[in-house]
Amino acid sequence: MAVSPFLKRIRTGTHPEDLVCSLVAGIAFLLLLSPLLGLLADLVPALLAGSPDIIAPMSLPSRRLGLLLASIGLSAGVAGTGILVGVFFISALFSLQQRLLAAILILLLALAGIPPYIHALTWSEFFILAGGVVDGFPATGWAVSFWVELMALLPLSVFLVWIAFASVDIQLIDAARLAHPDLSVLTRVILPLASPALGAAFGFVFLICCTDYSVPSLFGADVYALDIFAQFSASGSAAQALLYALPLLLVTFCVMLACRSGIRSLAQTPRRFAARFGNPLSFPRWFSILQTGAAAVIVMQVVVLFSGLLLAVGSPGAFMASALMAKNEILYSLLTVVLVIFISLPFSYAIAHELKRPGIRGAAAWLIVLLPLAVPAPLVGIGLITAGNIPVLSALYPALFMPAIVAVVRFAPLAAIVLFVQLRFIDPMLFDAAAVFGRNQRDVLTRIHLPLAAPGLVVSAGILAALTLAELGSTLIVAPPGHATLTMRIYNYLHYGAAADVAGLCLLITLLTLCTGSFTILAFRLFSRHRDFTIGGQGP
Amino acid sequence: MPDKKSGIFLIIAVILAVLITAMLLMPGDQKRTVVVYTSVDQVYSEPVFRDFENQTGIQVLPVYDVEATKTTGLATRLVAEKTRPRADVFWSGEFGQTIVLKNEGVLAAYYSPSASDIPEQFRDKEGFWTGFGGRARIFLVNTDLLAPSRYPHSLHDMLDEKYPAKTIGIAYPMFGTTSTHAAALYSFLGQEKARAFFASLNNRSVRVVDGNSVVRDLVADGQLAYGLTDTDDACGAIESGRNVTIIIPDQGPGEMGTLVIPNTVALIRDSPHPAEAKVFIDYLLEKKQESAMVSSGWIQIPVREVSARSPCINSTGIVTMPVGYQDVYTSLQTAQKDLIEIFIR
Repeated sequence: MAVSPFLKRIRTGTHPEDLVCSLVAGIAFLLLLSPLLGLLADLVPALLAGSPDIIAPMSLPSRRLGLLLASIGLSAGVAGTGILVGVFFISALFSLQQRLLAAILILLLALAGIPPYIHALTWSEFFILAGGVVDGFPATGWAVSFWVELMALLPLSVFLVWIAFASVDIQLIDAARLAHPDLSVLTRVILPLASPALGAAFGFVFLICCTDYSVPSLFGADVYALDIFAQFSASGSAAQALLYALPLLLVTFCVMLACRSGIRSLAQTPRRFAARFGNPLSFPRWFSILQTGAAAVIVMQVVVLFSGLLLAVGSPGAFMASALMAKNEILYSLLTVVLVIFISLPFSYAIAHELKRPGIRGAAAWLIVLLPLAVPAPLVGIGLITAGNIPVLSALYPALFMPAIVAVVRFAPLAAIVLFVQLRFIDPMLFDAAAVFGRNQRDVLTRIHLPLAAPGLVVSAGILAALTLAELGSTLIVAPPGHATLTMRIYNYLHYGAAADVAGLCLLITLLTLCTGSFTILAFRLFSRHRDFTIGGQGP
Repeated sequence: MPDKKSGIFLIIAVILAVLITAMLLMPGDQKRTVVVYTSVDQVYSEPVFRDFENQTGIQVLPVYDVEATKTTGLATRLVAEKTRPRADVFWSGEFGQTIVLKNEGVLAAYYSPSASDIPEQFRDKEGFWTGFGGRARIFLVNTDLLAPSRYPHSLHDMLDEKYPAKTIGIAYPMFGTTSTHAAALYSFLGQEKARAFFASLNNRSVRVVDGNSVVRDLVADGQLAYGLTDTDDACGAIESGRNVTIIIPDQGPGEMGTLVIPNTVALIRDSPHPAEAKVFIDYLLEKKQESAMVSSGWIQIPVREVSARSPCINSTGIVTMPVGYQDVYTSLQTAQKDLIEIFIR
C-alpha cells in the first residue's frame, strides 16, 4: 500500500495521544517488570555474597535435565494434541449458525475458567469408576497425566483455535472453494493462513502446561515446575527459586518468541462472526470421522466434568448453600475480575501499540511482554511483595487490590497480544484520516480508535475474566487479610474433603464465567455488527 | 450508531466506577482488628475467629493457606513482608515453618499467660512461639482391603513385600507435615538410615501422591490399602462413615513412636496491631479453646488435660517420637534436599 508523504508525516509526527499512549505503556511495562525487579533485588546481593546455595542452581544435573525434557515433552504433546483436536472440531463448526457457534464458544470459555486441578479431580473419579469396570485401567502415570492435562486445557485450546480460524478472510476461502475440494481448501488455504495464530495458540497452551505441576503431581508424574516449587519450599528463597526456574523460563521464552514471529506475520482480515453462506465445508469420510472423534473428546470432557460436579453437589439446595457460604468470595472475585479488566485493557491497548513498532523499541516491548508470561505464579506474587517493600513504592502498595494487580501482571500480556493482532487488522489509513479530520482528540479516541479496537478489547476481557477467576498461585501470596477469591475457597475446602461444597463452588465459577463469556460475545457482536474497517474492507 | 456505542461505553464506565467504589468502601481499619495468617484449614479456624470476635469485639482479618502451596505460601509471604509486616499473628498447624520464621527474624517474643499450663517442651525457650494441641502421623487403613491381622504396625512395614507397593500411599515427603515427619526421622534415625528408608520406598514404587488429603481419599476409595497421613485427615474419613480405621505406628516396646505435630502460634515482629495480637494469642492458648478444637476435629492430641475427647482416636498413652522440635527443624533442610533428589526425577 503506497503511503503519501503527507500521511507519512502525520504518522511519524509526535501527537499528544502518542505521548499519552507511550506514558501508559511505560507505566504498564514498569508494572509487568516489577516482580522480576523485586526478585532481582533479592538475587543480586545473594549472588554478590557468593552463597553456595545460590550457585547450586546454575548447573543442570541429569536429574533436572530429565525433568526439563519431560516437561517440554508433556507440554508440547498437550499443546499439539489440543490444537489438533481444536482444528478438527472447529473445522466441523466452520459453517455453523452464528448463535450456536457463540453458545459453544461461551461454554468453552466457561470451562477454561475452572482451575485445572478441579478438572483433574473429576477425571480422577472417572478413572476410579473405569478401574472398577476394566481391570488394570491405569490411574496414574504419564499417559494419565497427559490425558488429564489435555482435558483441562482443551477448552482454552479449542477457543484459541477458533480465534486462529476466525482470522482467515472468508472471501479467500470462498474464492478457493470455487476451484478446489474443501479438504484442499482447508490444508492449502485455511491452515496456512491460520498457522501464525495457531502457533501462538500452541505457545500459550505450552506455557500454561509447562508451569503447572498440580495436575501431573496428582497423577504421579514429576515435572520441572514441581522441582522449582520443591526447591522453593526447601530453601524459602525466591531468588534461588528464580534461578532454578531459569531453564524453564528460557524454554517458554523461546517458544513464545517463536510464536511472536508468527503473530507478527498475521495480515488477514478478521471477521470472526461473519455470516457463512453457501454449503457447509464437505470433507472425505476419513476426515469426517476424525472430526467426529474430536467432537466426541470435547463432549466427553464436558460430560465427565459436569456429571462429576453435579453428582458431587447432590441437590440444588446444596448448591445454593455453597453459593451462600461463599458470597463474600464471590463478590471479591467479581470485583477483582472487573478491576483486572479495567486496568488491563488500557495497559494492553497501549502495549499493543508498542508491539507494533519496528526496530529495537518494538523488540524490547516484546521482550517485556513475554518475560512475565514465563515466570512461575508464586514468584510473581513474591516479586511484587518484594517490590512493594521498596520505600518509594511502599506508599503505592495497594493491599486490597493486590490480587487484581498480580492478575494484571500475569494476564495483561496475553490481552496485549490479542489486541496487537486486532490492531494489525485495522487499516492504518483510517487512523490517518481520523488524525486529519477528527474534531478533537476525545472524538478520535472514542469514535475511531476504541470502536475499531472494540472486538479485540471484548475478547481480551473474556480471556482475562476466565484466567483471573482460575488464578491461585500468585493470588494466594498477596491476598489481603480478610478477603479471599472463590478459587482460594475451593482449594481450602479441597483439603477438608468437602466434595459437595467444592463441586458447588466449581459450578458457581462455571456460571460466573458463562455470564462473563455471554457478555463478552454479546458485546463482541454489538461492536462487530455492520462494521468492516479492516484492511480491504468497505467500512460501515 | 457511534452515539449509541458511546452511551454503552458510558454505562460500562459507570458500572465499573460503582464496583470500584464498592471495593474501596469495604470495611477498613475503623474498628480494632487483628490480622492472622493461618495454615489451619478454614473450616476449623473460621469458627475460632468468629468466637473471638464475639467475645472481644476485635475483628479478625484472616489469610488462609491451602494445601496446594504445600504450607510454604504463608511462611514465604511473611519472610517477604518482613521489612513491612502486614500480619500480627502466625497460627500454624505445625512447627517447622514457625521455627523457620523465628530464625528469619520475623517473630517477636511473647510469653502468654494462657500458656502457663502448657508443658515446656511445647514452648520456645525464648518465647518466640508457643505450641498447643495437634495431630499425629498415623496409618489410615482400608478395612475392606486389609483384615485386622494384616494391619501395618510400623513405618518399616511400608517396605515389607507382603504389602504390594502400589497399595501403599504417602504424600510427597518434601512438603507439609510429611516433610516435618521426614525431618523427624532424619533426626531420630540419622541421615544415612533415613535416606535409605526413603530411597527404598521410592525404589519399591510406593504410591507418592500430592498431599495428605489425597492419601486419605485414595484409602477411603479403596485405591490404596493403607497410607501415611495426619489424624485430622483420617478422622474426616472416619466421620464420613468410610470403611477405614486408624493405626498409630511404632507403638510397641522399643519402637520409635509416632510424631505428634502441635499447632504453634507466634507474634509477628513490628506487627501493625500488637495489642490486639496479644489478646488473640492469649485467647487461642486458653485451655478451653484447645478443648473446643478437640471437639471440632482439628486437634486429636491435646497437650493439656482437657474435657473433650476426640471421637475418632484415643490419644491416651500414645508413644511419641523422642525428638526435639529444634532438632527436627535442624534436619528439615537436609531432609528436603535429599528427598527432592530421591522423589522428583
